Amino acid sequence: QSMSLSVSPAQTAAWRKQIFEQLSERSKREMDNFRHYEQAIEQTVWVKKGTM
Amino acid sequence: MADDKDVLRDVWFGRIPTCFTLYQDEITEREAEPFYLLLPRVSYLPLVTDKVRKHFQKVMKPDDVGEMWFEYEGTPLKWHYPIGLLFDLYASNTTLPWSIFVHFKNFPQQDLLHCPSNSVIEAHFMSSIKEADALKHKGAVVNEMQKKDHKQLWMGLQNDKFDQFWAMNRKLMEYPTEEGGFRYIPFRIYQVTSNRPFIQKLFRPVASDGCPHTLGDLLKEVFPAAIPQNDGQKKYQVMIHGIEPMLETPIQWLSEHLSYPDNFLHISIIPAPSD
Repeated sequence: QSMSLSVSPAQTAAWRKQIFEQLSERSKREMDNFRHYEQAIEQTVWVKKGTM
Repeated sequence: MADDKDVLRDVWFGRIPTCFTLYQDEITEREAEPFYLLLPRVSYLPLVTDKVRKHFQKVMKPDDVGEMWFEYEGTPLKWHYPIGLLFDLYASNTTLPWSIFVHFKNFPQQDLLHCPSNSVIEAHFMSSIKEADALKHKGAVVNEMQKKDHKQLWMGLQNDKFDQFWAMNRKLMEYPTEEGGFRYIPFRIYQVTSNRPFIQKLFRPVASDGCPHTLGDLLKEVFPAAIPQNDGQKKYQVMIHGIEPMLETPIQWLSEHLSYPDNFLHISIIPAPSD
């Protein structure tokens, strides 16, 4: 079993490049100006609690 | 060049900045300030809005607090659709933050399912995963998993744990090399302007001549109007996770990398902006 489409060494296809670029643009658009907003799900820091 | 695995992280950690405002008809004891939150695109509204409920409950009498539901520009938001899909479908190309009304009364029974607890979301999520695996592997992978493995998928989503989720989800993404992909691609196509909730058909990732099917091939078969005409005019945007993949993108790759945690590709087709 493998994921043959995912491991192609020459990842230069235009469609793939375009997806990377668009995801990066999406992050800028949807997240960069809003980093001061609260996260809906808090990540629990159990390690810190363990040392209390 | 980024790695394909980075796409999985980008998809998982997508967030939509959202402004929740209490609907004007709700009765409060003092003024209700709006509440701002980053919502995970891949999650479900009732799973990530505890803080919203608590915020508004502080200014309301307990008797006035019924089941919470959400509305965007007159449309009740279905909790059983992933948040990213709701945003792409109804609010793409609008100014951020996404502005949602919060209601605690007049639950729209005809539009929304009740969601009395997280176990209802879990049941919906797991049934979607099972349906997707039935399409991909005749259900073989999900049936081989143990109950704790199913829990790992759910807890990964519930607690926003990417590694926990993908340690198990990768099994659902495998396929025999010689077949070049899944048996069928789990996908759903949504449109705002349709009476049908969505389009879902059997579609193979590889053509009978062995060539990989693309997103364009899928659209040609199930929604040809979304393909730009010869004059180059684009009538529709085809959105997945807030982006518009090229029509040449192999559908198998999309299924492996741009599916939601429920293992479906949720594709929104929206009218292209006229500017």
